[in-house]
Amino acid sequence: MLPSQADFLFTLVVFILAVLALIFSGKFIVDPPIPLDSNLLAMNSRVFPILILMGTVIVSFSFLLSAIRSKNIESSRMGLINVMNISKGLWRQCVFLVITITSALLLVTLGFITTMFFLMVSTAFLVGNRNLIQIIVISAFMPVGFYIVVTHVLRTALPEVDIVQKFLAPLIRLLPAF
Amino acid sequence: MEALIAGLDAALRIDTFIWISGGLLLGMLMGSLPGFTTSMGMSVLVPISFLVGDPLIGIPFLIGVYKGGIYGGSVPAILISMPGTGASIATVFDGHELTKKGQPRKALEMGLYASAISDLFSDLFTLVMIIPVAAIVLGFGPPEIAAVMFLSLVIISVTSTGPVIKGLLMLCLGVLFGFIGADPFSGAARYTFGTNQLYDGFHLIPMLIGLFALPEIFKAVKEGDQTNSRIAQFVGDHLNFSELRRSLRTIFRSTAIGTSIGLVPGLGQPIAAMMGYIAAKNSSDTPERFGKGELDGVAGAEAANNAVNGPTMVPLLTLGIPGDAVTALLLGAFMMQGLRPGPTLMETNGDIVFAILIAMVFANILFLIIGYLTIPLFAKVVTIKRSLLIPVTIMLAFAGTYLARSNPFDIVTLIGFGLIGIAARSAKFDVAPMVMGFILGRELEYTFGQTLALAGDDWLRFIFVERLGMTAVVLATPIIGVTLGARMNRFRQKAIAGEQA
Repeated sequence: MLPSQADFLFTLVVFILAVLALIFSGKFIVDPPIPLDSNLLAMNSRVFPILILMGTVIVSFSFLLSAIRSKNIESSRMGLINVMNISKGLWRQCVFLVITITSALLLVTLGFITTMFFLMVSTAFLVGNRNLIQIIVISAFMPVGFYIVVTHVLRTALPEVDIVQKFLAPLIRLLPAF
Repeated sequence: MEALIAGLDAALRIDTFIWISGGLLLGMLMGSLPGFTTSMGMSVLVPISFLVGDPLIGIPFLIGVYKGGIYGGSVPAILISMPGTGASIATVFDGHELTKKGQPRKALEMGLYASAISDLFSDLFTLVMIIPVAAIVLGFGPPEIAAVMFLSLVIISVTSTGPVIKGLLMLCLGVLFGFIGADPFSGAARYTFGTNQLYDGFHLIPMLIGLFALPEIFKAVKEGDQTNSRIAQFVGDHLNFSELRRSLRTIFRSTAIGTSIGLVPGLGQPIAAMMGYIAAKNSSDTPERFGKGELDGVAGAEAANNAVNGPTMVPLLTLGIPGDAVTALLLGAFMMQGLRPGPTLMETNGDIVFAILIAMVFANILFLIIGYLTIPLFAKVVTIKRSLLIPVTIMLAFAGTYLARSNPFDIVTLIGFGLIGIAARSAKFDVAPMVMGFILGRELEYTFGQTLALAGDDWLRFIFVERLGMTAVVLATPIIGVTLGARMNRFRQKAIAGEQA
């Protein structure tokens, strides 16, 4: 996708969302169960969001209008050529997004070390590393090392499943107390 | 004065200097790697700064990363003509020409000395400036703060990368994201969709990591493992004293340019470097040698970009206004340490502020020593495979986000803002105004509300008699915005013409 098409699309999405937010602002802003009297409030909680939403609508509309008027959107033929060039890396980006989102959702369930191992192996492979030993060594030792430093030295909790914690406990006990 | 002495006492700690050294090394590493930016490096390292617990360790560590990162960007710029950071674009012009002539060592050493000298003087300027500025700001009430924030938001949007309209749009988006959560006055839930997690609003750290780190990783995934086929050789003669002395005028001129730019929110290092380079060329007796391997070209660009670092702390510490993405990250680090930058910071934590600023000054000496010793190492780092570092970066991004509050929802925030950052980058929208809008929008609303409460019914008297300072700033804002916008457009055209030439 050409930048001129991409920024048109980005602005269009922002414009549509801002218009929707403006239309439904009454529903999206919920007063507290015991609302304060208007004499006590310096400003209504809807004033600023509505002003900024209106500003967003005006700015995005001006941008879209100027883009259409200046015929800034490149022809579909050029766009297709560019899409074909980009598609070489596009599948890697799509896979990366899926893996990242999955890892984010599984972080607490699977624990930090397992999730990071999975994420780091996938990322290294997607970036182009084909040295399996290198990938596994980095992806296994870095999260374990980081986990030990954070939990043992800095005494801050990272999500981890019991089985991994029990497995690492003897190793952590061997380390000096900080 | 007492705070200054207490600060000096607090700054002179061995652990502070060890962490600054670590920060400098990490910053240089990040900067030396093409495709790794200072903001990306800092965003994944911010959580480490608060995990150490002490602001006198954590904040100087990040400042070390900042300083090291800006200089580190010049290493690939000089050696392989690939600026490590945006701040080093102007360094390529003459730095890489010197490499082609077989003098990369000379170019790198000039870059180091120019950076360290300008950094030192701009930090001393910051230390001197912060006292009177803080004294003035202390007299500010909510109306004046609201007016200054309004002015800053306008400056940030007109000086962002790309067209002003894009900057404004991103600014509006950032302000809107800042509104998500409880209204500061009534407690009304705004755009929370009935979820408790959103009632407190988005946390700054996951947002920053998402916007700055994830798009870089995403880009690296698309490009694949690009090991630089060009060999980065660190050869040639050392820079001699007479060459450094000849460039001192340029270094001090660029220091003045960089320092002035650093004081204005939104301008940043790339603009300073380009202005420093253009000024060096315009005032040179031999301008025709620029672009063909002139040491003054390297000195002009490098001194100007590093001189920005210190003065950006003045609006940050006194008004709570971050000048660029990196200072927004520093603001996040301050807040995580329980320090709230703004008019009262100097009054409540003056000793800590002075200690941090004094540590910044001493960091320059460490910067010079570490930089000199490690230039050969970082010359090799340029060719490290990205596929080794990207997985570590994503691990730090996830871990850092979680560690900020131990809240799994922050991971969702990270991914959400990561996706926004990726979309914005592909559409060539600068995310920096969005971050500023997020930070300042809510504050602006709060101080504006306080202003309305103070004004009461007699608001005409309030505006034109009681708060003339606020009125003057508000009236001057459109004029400053339009003038600065026009100048920025002219400057961008000049810079593009210069790059093409």
